[in-house]
Amino acid sequence: MNNLRLARAPLIAILVALLMTTIVLATTDAEAISAFTVMFSGALTSPSRVADMVMLAAPLLLCAAGLSISFAAGQYNLGIEGQMTVGGVISMAVLRQYADGGNVAVYWIIALLAGALAGAAWAGVVALLKQYTRVSEIFVGLGLNFVALGFSLYMVFGPWKRPGVASMSGTEPLPDSLWLPVIGTTRVTLITPLVAVIVLALFWFLLRATQWGLEVRASGLSQPASRRLGVPAVRRMIQAMLVCGAAAGLAGALQVLGVYHALVPNLASGIGFMGLLVALLINADIRFVAPLVLLFAVLTAGSIQLPLSLSIDSSISGVFQGFLVLAMIVARAFISIKERA
Amino acid sequence: MKQQMDNGLKTRVLILVVAMLSLIISACGAQPSAPAEATTAPVEATAAPEEPAAAEPTSAPADAEKFVFGMVLVGPINDGGWSQAHYDAAKYVEANTPNSEFVYVDKVNPADRPNIKVEQVVDELVAKGAKLVITNSDDFKDGTREAAKAHPDVTFVHISGDDVVTGKAPANLGNEMGRMEYGKMIAGCAAALQSADGKIAFVGPLINDETRRLADSAYLGAKYCWTKVRGADAAALKFNVTWIGFWFNIPGVTLDPTKVVNDAFTEGYDVIISGIDTPEAIVEAGKAQAAGKKVYALPYDYKDACAKGEAACLGVPYFNWVPTYSKLIADVKGGTWKQAWIWNAPDWKDINNVTTSPVGFIKGAALTAENATKLDSFIAELAGGLNLWTGPINLQDGTSYLADGLVADDKQVWYMPQLLEGMEGQSASK
Amino acid sequence: MHISIRNLCKAFGNVVANNDISVDFAAGQIHGILGENGAGKSTLMKMLSGIYTLDSGAVAINGNEVLLGAPIRSLQVGIGMVGQDPLDIPVFTILQNIAAGAQIAGHTQIADSFAAWNALLGFELQPHLRIQQLTVGQRQQVEIIRLLITGSQVLILDEPTTGISAAQKDALFGALRTIAREGKTVLFVTHKLDEVAALCDTVTVLRAGSLVGTQAQMPVAKDVILQAMFGDRSAQASFTVGHHHPNGTLWHLNDVVMQSANLRLGPFSQEIAAGQIIGLAGLEGSGQTLYLQHLAGMRLPRSGSIRFLNRQLVGARHDAVYLPADRLHEGIIPSMSLVEHVQLLHKHLLDPGQTARQKVLQLIRDYNIKATPDIALELLSGGNQQRAMLALIPESARVILVEHPTRGLDAYSAESIWHRLQERCTRGTTVVFFSADLEEVMTYSDAIIVFYGGSLSRILDRDTLTEQSLARLIGGVGFAEVMQ
Repeated sequence: MNNLRLARAPLIAILVALLMTTIVLATTDAEAISAFTVMFSGALTSPSRVADMVMLAAPLLLCAAGLSISFAAGQYNLGIEGQMTVGGVISMAVLRQYADGGNVAVYWIIALLAGALAGAAWAGVVALLKQYTRVSEIFVGLGLNFVALGFSLYMVFGPWKRPGVASMSGTEPLPDSLWLPVIGTTRVTLITPLVAVIVLALFWFLLRATQWGLEVRASGLSQPASRRLGVPAVRRMIQAMLVCGAAAGLAGALQVLGVYHALVPNLASGIGFMGLLVALLINADIRFVAPLVLLFAVLTAGSIQLPLSLSIDSSISGVFQGFLVLAMIVARAFISIKERA
Repeated sequence: MKQQMDNGLKTRVLILVVAMLSLIISACGAQPSAPAEATTAPVEATAAPEEPAAAEPTSAPADAEKFVFGMVLVGPINDGGWSQAHYDAAKYVEANTPNSEFVYVDKVNPADRPNIKVEQVVDELVAKGAKLVITNSDDFKDGTREAAKAHPDVTFVHISGDDVVTGKAPANLGNEMGRMEYGKMIAGCAAALQSADGKIAFVGPLINDETRRLADSAYLGAKYCWTKVRGADAAALKFNVTWIGFWFNIPGVTLDPTKVVNDAFTEGYDVIISGIDTPEAIVEAGKAQAAGKKVYALPYDYKDACAKGEAACLGVPYFNWVPTYSKLIADVKGGTWKQAWIWNAPDWKDINNVTTSPVGFIKGAALTAENATKLDSFIAELAGGLNLWTGPINLQDGTSYLADGLVADDKQVWYMPQLLEGMEGQSASK
Repeated sequence: MHISIRNLCKAFGNVVANNDISVDFAAGQIHGILGENGAGKSTLMKMLSGIYTLDSGAVAINGNEVLLGAPIRSLQVGIGMVGQDPLDIPVFTILQNIAAGAQIAGHTQIADSFAAWNALLGFELQPHLRIQQLTVGQRQQVEIIRLLITGSQVLILDEPTTGISAAQKDALFGALRTIAREGKTVLFVTHKLDEVAALCDTVTVLRAGSLVGTQAQMPVAKDVILQAMFGDRSAQASFTVGHHHPNGTLWHLNDVVMQSANLRLGPFSQEIAAGQIIGLAGLEGSGQTLYLQHLAGMRLPRSGSIRFLNRQLVGARHDAVYLPADRLHEGIIPSMSLVEHVQLLHKHLLDPGQTARQKVLQLIRDYNIKATPDIALELLSGGNQQRAMLALIPESARVILVEHPTRGLDAYSAESIWHRLQERCTRGTTVVFFSADLEEVMTYSDAIIVFYGGSLSRILDRDTLTEQSLARLIGGVGFAEVMQ
């Protein structure tokens, strides 16, 4: 019964999303089939495309894994974009201290740790404001996203601007030696996906196999009941936010080190929100994070070919992703209403 | 009670969804405001509309005979400005070069396409068989360089860049730009001729070498015509520069150009010179004209830009990339392309010749016949060798830029450090 | 306006809330409607005010049958209800709230009517205050005026004296008399006998969803009313299920005032001995939950001190376990299993779950829970959930404080729960519980505390009481003699 329900909702959701996207596609001249083919397989057709997909999937994986912890604690961390941005800015602050001849690996490690800490601190602000002012973490988080964006814009156009010229393309790139090494001629750096997978595994273990994870889940499910059972619920909720923020900050630092090699104005660029979509889609169940992140990365990376091969705007993959999440939420609600009746 | 819990949860999820959707929508909405209406007229103006690119997506790379050239555009192809000028020229060249195919990706900017880097787009263009890739924004400087390193067998041209000058460019990367300075001087002159009291406002994008030199050029043209042609006092000329922050309006990030333009009218400026990629200045001036105000504007970049406010248009300085691209394609095809930093001057025989002049100026309907004649003679003077970059010229902070009698070289003009003495506005971003 | 109710029935699922009720409420009078919790008073009123639809039966106003079923329709025919929680918009002023609800154009007109009613009823409301600045009593006054302005001819008040001060109560009673003199009909729902005696012209008693006898003109002897409310319970034999002997004092309460949003108990002093079962009797919402939460240390007294085992009680304690009435929400985590609950109780950072599983299997046997160790508790029946909750109380607990220990359970499950609780008590655990079921309180308690109208009684030895006398105390009759 329970398994059947689990399988039914996603199937319905995928069908509905495909249908709705087809309707949207009908307004263009392109054939839906070829559009879907490009979206679903476009990212897998050459090594460099797979590489780009992986580099998108890695930060997305970090965000979605972090969110599965904050969601488990009942915290809707919409501030994840801001946490990622701040992580990037602070890691950049570390990397700017590098001078030729410095130990690169040490800088990488410090930059990644600093990014994670900064993300955690930014999430901590959300958690504390929620606990002490009773403002929903949703609104605090969204507000802090704008603050973080303003902070990074200020750094890009102010103190860290290129000599003489402030540019939307970001700060002056880091010295080549600081860039994470790539595999072959692709743009994929081994370290980025490796870190993401390790973090996912760690979070999985934390959430599913430790007392801490059990207590986090208990706090998210029922605060009064978990307090009654002796769980320090408030502390666990704050800790879950911190862990999520750390993952986001790490993702931001990795974007700086491995992708942009500079601080760019829009560092988070919607990856955090895409992580939220993934988390919503799978009810923040960490077991499904990896496959869904891959799907979203494939869709997003593949869609870049749409304007070239079919003259369709690439945002159609965003339309599909949006419909998928919406349909999933509605399908779940619908099934639970039917079962209650 | 269970019911209550579920309801609480649902409310939260609803809030979440609404919040996210609004964010997604706002992200999609963060693009130039004008392009939607731009489509019809301009597309007709260029002979070959969109179909060819879309028609045969699959066969292209296999066909070895065909010369494929690609372009990465920062704005939408129908922005009625900078990006459309590039797009139309490329389509024109494609139509007039046998066995060529043009592939492109537009709207490559962080607002429209987050998570997509220039390098990725270039990979796709190269996968389509492109042997020449043109990137058209200053912001693509780093990305173009990286892409050029990754594809050493493809020729890259970064429009408006300077990697060749700075020595950062790999061997397969060149730079091209048109000498819009002349176009801006003509625009400045037209503004000074027609302004009632010599109050001219310049709406600029972000502040960098290029935008400073263009604003300065407009000022030099205005000052020349104000003093030499109208015989008025230089001190009476007001020339105000407002930078909005980017090449087009990004709500919440840049100043709103529509508001900037209207504020200028309110403050008594009666001519607006636009330095941004989108047509707000001419649109607003057109509206103000229709409302009975004697105000004018000079749009930028794109030769049909006057269409958005014919009655208020004094003329438009525009880029015509046809000669540049024709030559590039011929050179790359023929194997004669050489890395260079090229700054193309107008064809002074006929600055509006589509096949020969990279920079042109089309006079607008609002320019009086008398002023049009004066403007023509100014253009003739420029063609005859008049160089406004001749000393004495002081920078905005009073320091000397050119001593008396000296003439600026290309590098001095290209790397323009400040606005000039006599101009109001910021010289550098804070 | 004269209301005639004929053969009204209402059921929720299998539970009959109102059974064939026929009664008349004459205009120009105040009608008391009495009954214990769950007697069906609120259901009847909610049908009149359109919140519930009727299953069968008819309602006539001045002889003309009306179709109810939606609040707006009731308002249109002139029936308005002042709820226990007046619904209004806290940040609006009084006038804005009235304007938002009234179908009257013109702000001055509303202000004028407001002023007129305010003066007539002797209220002292300032129309420009915001609702959030008002007390519960003042909000109630606003609600009454709002209904009168919108043209209500029948005013229903459901337990209106809960949470308001004595002065406000007097003002309310005066106003209701004025309203009745104006020719309107007032329906006054309460469980307090003395309020009916003081205010009402007639009394109607409901018990278990049915009308008891017919409507009677006041005055009516209290014993008669009590008999009607609780039935002839004294006829049942009172039997003892094992007696526990108190040993030593567990709680010392000294001049304690317990306060929540709309309730205030005390000041009072008390000593509670360990090792017994104490039942809290009284109509629901008279302060039992507040009292239990204070004993558990979950709330701290407004003033005075509570000492537990001779130490000041400063917060919730692990050895004082509180089982809330809303067990699915506050007691357990519905989607987690017994194993997970046991793990939560035992702090091992990386427990592989094996020791927890062993323990759970033991608990399942000991407490006769029909469940597997890994099944989510929400999938268990109510009795099994309740037993699971008991099973999760560590042996080290000195005190179990429990609300409605057997509500919603069948007789067999209820008995097995009590079996466990008594076992615990025999081993020295003190049990304090409250229940709406008089019989349960009488059957299982060693001592009883009665709650009535914001006060509580001394700790009464169960053997000094009969169900009859307890029922009287709950209704307030003779309460003064046993008051703390």
